[in-house]
Amino acid sequence: MILDIRNLSKTYSNGVQALKDVSLTISQGMFGLLGPNGAGKSSLMRTIATLQEADSGSVTLGTIDVLKQKEEVRKVLGYLPQEFGLYPKIDAITLLDHLAVLKGIGNAKQRKELVETLLHKTNLWGARNKNLGGYSGGMKQRFGIAQALLANPKLIIVDEPTAGLDPAERNRFLNLLSELGENTIVILSTHIVDDVKELCTDMAIINKGEVLYKGNPLDAIADVNGKVWKKRITKSELEAHKQNHQVISERLISGKPEIRVFSTTQPDSSFEAVEADLEDVYFTHIFSTQKEAVAV
Amino acid sequence: MFKEIFRFELKYRKKRPATYIYFGIFFVMCLLAVTTDIVQIGGAAGQIKENAPFVIARMTVIMTLFLTLVTSAVMGVAVLRDFEHNTEAIMFSTPMGKFSYLMGRFWGSFAVLLFIGSGISIAFLIGDFWPGREAEKLLPFNFWSFIQPFLVFVVPNCFFTGALLFMSGTLSRKTIVIYTQGILLLVLYIASQTMLRNLEQKELAAMVDPFGLRAFAYETQYWTPAERNTQLVPFSGYVLYNRLIWMGAGILALAVTYFGFSFNVVRNALIRRKSTADNFRKVQSVSTTIPVVEPVIDTKARFRQLGKLTSLYFTSVVKEIPFIGIVIAGLLLLFLNAINMSELFGTSAYPTTYNVLSIIQGFNLFFLIIVVFYTGELVWRERSVKMNLIIDALPIVDFITLIAKFLGLLLVYIGLLLVLVLSGIVIQVAYGYFKFELPVYLSTLFTETLSFLLLYTFLSIFIQVMVNNKFIGYAVCVAFFILTGVLGELGLEHGLFQFGSADIGTYSDMNVYGHFLTPFTWFETYWFAFSVILFVVAVIFSVRGSESVMNIRWKAGKLRLNRSMVTLLLGAAVLFVSSGFFIYYNTNIINNFETSERVKEQQAAYEKKYKKYETLAQPRIVETNLKVDLYPYDRDFTAEGYYYLKNKTTQPIRDLHIQQSNDHQLTVAYLKFDRDAKVKEHDEDFRYYIYELVAPLQPGDSVKMSFKLSFVTRGFEEQNSNTNVVFNGTFFNNTSFFPALGYQDDYEIGDDDDRKEQDLEEKERMLGRNDARGRGMSLFGDDADHIRFEMTVSTSNDQIAIAPGYLQKEWQENDRRYFQYKMDAPMCNFYSVVSARYAVKRDKWNDVNLEIYYHPGHEYNLDRMMQGMKDALAYYSKNFSPFQFRQMRIMEFPRYASFAQSFANTVPFSEGIGFIARISDPDEDIDYPYYVTAHEVAHQWWGHQVMEANVKGNAMLSESMSQYSALMVMKHAFTPETIERYLKYELDNYLSGRATESKKEQPLELVERQNYIHYQKASLIFFALQDYIGEDSLNAAFRRYNEAWRFKDAPYPTSADLLGYIRQVTPDSLQSVIHDMFETITLFENKTLEAEYQELDSTHFEITLKVSAEKLRADSTGMETPVAINDWIDIGVYGKDEQKKDKLIYLQKHKITQKENTFTIRVDQRPRKAGIDPMHKLIDRHSSDNTKSVVRKP
Repeated sequence: MILDIRNLSKTYSNGVQALKDVSLTISQGMFGLLGPNGAGKSSLMRTIATLQEADSGSVTLGTIDVLKQKEEVRKVLGYLPQEFGLYPKIDAITLLDHLAVLKGIGNAKQRKELVETLLHKTNLWGARNKNLGGYSGGMKQRFGIAQALLANPKLIIVDEPTAGLDPAERNRFLNLLSELGENTIVILSTHIVDDVKELCTDMAIINKGEVLYKGNPLDAIADVNGKVWKKRITKSELEAHKQNHQVISERLISGKPEIRVFSTTQPDSSFEAVEADLEDVYFTHIFSTQKEAVAV
Repeated sequence: MFKEIFRFELKYRKKRPATYIYFGIFFVMCLLAVTTDIVQIGGAAGQIKENAPFVIARMTVIMTLFLTLVTSAVMGVAVLRDFEHNTEAIMFSTPMGKFSYLMGRFWGSFAVLLFIGSGISIAFLIGDFWPGREAEKLLPFNFWSFIQPFLVFVVPNCFFTGALLFMSGTLSRKTIVIYTQGILLLVLYIASQTMLRNLEQKELAAMVDPFGLRAFAYETQYWTPAERNTQLVPFSGYVLYNRLIWMGAGILALAVTYFGFSFNVVRNALIRRKSTADNFRKVQSVSTTIPVVEPVIDTKARFRQLGKLTSLYFTSVVKEIPFIGIVIAGLLLLFLNAINMSELFGTSAYPTTYNVLSIIQGFNLFFLIIVVFYTGELVWRERSVKMNLIIDALPIVDFITLIAKFLGLLLVYIGLLLVLVLSGIVIQVAYGYFKFELPVYLSTLFTETLSFLLLYTFLSIFIQVMVNNKFIGYAVCVAFFILTGVLGELGLEHGLFQFGSADIGTYSDMNVYGHFLTPFTWFETYWFAFSVILFVVAVIFSVRGSESVMNIRWKAGKLRLNRSMVTLLLGAAVLFVSSGFFIYYNTNIINNFETSERVKEQQAAYEKKYKKYETLAQPRIVETNLKVDLYPYDRDFTAEGYYYLKNKTTQPIRDLHIQQSNDHQLTVAYLKFDRDAKVKEHDEDFRYYIYELVAPLQPGDSVKMSFKLSFVTRGFEEQNSNTNVVFNGTFFNNTSFFPALGYQDDYEIGDDDDRKEQDLEEKERMLGRNDARGRGMSLFGDDADHIRFEMTVSTSNDQIAIAPGYLQKEWQENDRRYFQYKMDAPMCNFYSVVSARYAVKRDKWNDVNLEIYYHPGHEYNLDRMMQGMKDALAYYSKNFSPFQFRQMRIMEFPRYASFAQSFANTVPFSEGIGFIARISDPDEDIDYPYYVTAHEVAHQWWGHQVMEANVKGNAMLSESMSQYSALMVMKHAFTPETIERYLKYELDNYLSGRATESKKEQPLELVERQNYIHYQKASLIFFALQDYIGEDSLNAAFRRYNEAWRFKDAPYPTSADLLGYIRQVTPDSLQSVIHDMFETITLFENKTLEAEYQELDSTHFEITLKVSAEKLRADSTGMETPVAINDWIDIGVYGKDEQKKDKLIYLQKHKITQKENTFTIRVDQRPRKAGIDPMHKLIDRHSSDNTKSVVRKP
């Protein structure tokens, strides 16, 4: 099954254009959707999850017209929204069982087994009888993934699942995702490059509603490899470097700025070649759109 | 710091649109209230001007009730908003103190609240200058009458409610608690209302009501129109106490807030919740794989989804603490109401199921709160916890969620209704009443109440979905309730326009639900169909996902219109339209429907067209002989027979004017005379017919007029369908349906304002006492003097039919029962037809047959009524004149009306006023079945033996004399304390009756159909009079009056005639009393100032009593002027009897000639209480200060 997104556009009533002519083809496996906050990731994912209307374009999942046959999509969908809450006065096992019924799992025995397994899997078993109102952010997030995995979904959409998790939580969470069958389309949106690096076989970078890049993460790295250079400078030199070079990122190392620039050739000898990673890819693409935006 | 926070609060609120919206709402509502009829909040009526200080004050207090809603929003969130917006950590880490933080927020918000509240007074004030106000309904502008209520009511009410809600919001940090608190205030207010019904609890009610409305009402209860127009609300007495109590409560609430508020982000909850520690940080090796379970979404799964969601929503409502709070509050109120069950004179009725049901109906307000509130909660259930995106992405068909929410609420309602049934039974058991009528409970609550709930649930779901903002949704719902009245104002009075207008009618033990069931079912069907349409629209537009813009909701919603939705929508639309047509066909085509405006126009047109015939001489009926066939189960009847009309004038009469009943169900089969006559005027609109006799009717001659009428009930009517001809308990009299002679002035519009609107002159309510035409007709009108009467009534086989006269013959024919009645002496032209499935109780008094026709099961008070008949007949025949009939009958009729009425030897008596009265303690409870019986029997003398002239003061000769007669019968049967209690109610009713007089208060001798005068005031006056001149003397006057006038035709006596006899038996020294009592409106202001005693020895006590006495005379508006006092007034002293009850040990009349008086009285017992006019024989607006506890002289 393939998820095919064609020329999808969406403008909100306040005039913000959330999606600009987005086209993507996503096949089974983990797909990473990378972009800064406000890039349009959630809009895209909500549209695929039948929760938002598009102005134009089409989305098909296999033979299903996602924009029209919402009911059909929902039958095979597992969705974890970016921000969500849970009924505070219900415990985890009850709510998960409730959601399982709503997802169409009628057999009580199967349902019990499934719910219990998922609670084990998400490490919520010990807290299964606690009211969800008392759950921490990480526990809530794990419950979210548990519910998204109910009922053997063919399409799983997880929207920024690692935001706000501590490193240990995040690792466990990614492990869980990685276990998902290969027969499933999993779309993971994030603004954390490492998430994609560690998990995804395929990816897209979007910003301001536009797809900047799509393809394999390794290919992406290969594309920029050898074109990224770093240099440690003083704070006062920063502005000058920004004017003369294509600075894609800057970070502080022991209080002193280190910049990375994108250039097909070594800008000068003070720059040192670096092994490009996905973050460089990301910043390169994001940087170029920002530059354009400024130019306009 | 305080100043900073205060200023910040003001600044913050200044930018919030809500502040101005709230102000605007109150301003506009109040402006509309004073300048239009759209909004009604207890404005002026009759003599009271629209901007009278009283009216402004009352409207202001009432508006503060509504202001509480805003108070919740403004004051509750003052601190709460820091928690809701998660700014508390930032706020609390600043160096401000707790005191300045709390007080700054409180006073800042309070200032804003006062600004909003000022919208009320400003609107009233501006309203005074609004163009188009009628100058004659306004008083000159008085600034203070707008400002004073603001200071006395708005400010304290805002302070108290504000402090309370500030406290609950701040301490609980939950919005919901604030609203529950608001409901508690409402409960207090309603509780105070139920206390009012009992005279002894009025003061308590005045204190309990936190809004001060009861205190205001208490202090002004006896204000006359003149006082209402001139006086400001007194800031003293109970108004002052009330204000102080609740201001104190407000200060207390602030103190509690200060000490209870913890300046920490993490608060110490009262109940410490165990925090859920995530003990599973270490990664467990999870080797199990997720089992593959393929979901199946088939029909079964859909039902499973529906069931799951329904039970989730149901439990989520019933587990809510506020929900439980609302229910408990409602039940408490219900039980409180049950303590004073349908009281009359402080005597309660048996807790029959319908009486209990009417108490249960008090829960409807709470139901309404639950409907509006929890529909909102459920519609927003997922969104409020931000779980909506998860739920919305589930494979659930769009309408299932909303249906589940609806069904969840339905389960809540069913549960609550069962709780109510149980509560009803508990109430009945508590009264020792064990006749539980479960079918009546269930069929009332599960039809009318449940469908009312469901309709409003549909509506409120619709509103919540369309408005798509929970709080605006609530506001729209409330606005909807207020605005339902507007449609009526616009002339859209028909039930087809009034949402949820189905009415199951009054339940009666006799007639059960009667004929109301059919229209109820149809209107219910109509509105259900409408609601389903609303529901489908709600499904289409309900937000699923993240889109909330209307046109996108429509775009997405269109897709939801699948075949089943379209079928449902079309089905509902077809049902809506067809039931609407069916209702219209029934109410407007085969029956008549007229708006109240149209009715007034018709009345005016009739008056304009035919008033000219009012004084036209007509013959009088001298004989009536009718055959009436009742078909109670079809609600039909026919009447056929004849009148003999005799020319009693001195001139020949050529034209006969016949007025047939305007009831559209009635048709005239024929009307003819025994001689040639031609139709001169045939007005079908007003059913006014003029026949011209070919040979005029000569003086002394009679003409026979034969006619046949048929009354046919077809389909059903919009509302007010007649309750005269019903399945079981038919009762009507001749004036309802039978032909009358000449112009009927009863059809005229009585209200002067309405008359003006129809371009008619103001109208006197009755003819002057010396008007010759008035004196020439009796209280029963000018159609007849006395008539010979005979009637044969037939009815269905299981019923007994009764008309005045003696039963001549009874037989069965064609499966019907026939009764032939004939009166053997002339009687007045007023007769009833009654038919029902009766049981009969018979007895005898001397040679008079006594019969009570009652509904089986209503045996409770038959003995009391029987005794009442006997005692009354005995007293009246001994003191006035012999009883003119050989038989006296009482028959029960359904409680559609609550009166008893006296016809010749016949008294129809309502089921609602006596048959189910519960006299549990004859010493405590006023036995009103006995009293009403005695009153009605008295009418056999006053009204039937002596008919009075139809002029001002007439009711004094029938109603007042009957009141007196019954009172004397009671006086000999009951204890003086019972009589005193009875008179206390009469005084209260008189004083509050005159306070709301719409035209002018008359002295008793000129009373013009004013119940509070000819019943209540008359009781007081005649009781005092017999106390002054002696019962025997007064009876002698009545006897002479009776002797002079009994059984006479025109001219008839007036109150002047009776007063003549009364003056004859009154000693010269008391003649002035007659003037005070009958010819003027006289009030006393008696008060005991000091009461002390000295113990001379153990059997001699000397009391020094200082009393003040004033005498006032009021004009017709209630304007009082003091007059010199020169009266004999009771001075009394109470001791204690063996049972420690008050006992009069001294009672003597003393002549009082000045305001302040001191008396020295010796008694032989230790005195407890003493005072002036202790038994309240004189009319005194402050009767509680008449006596005082006697203290021992130091």
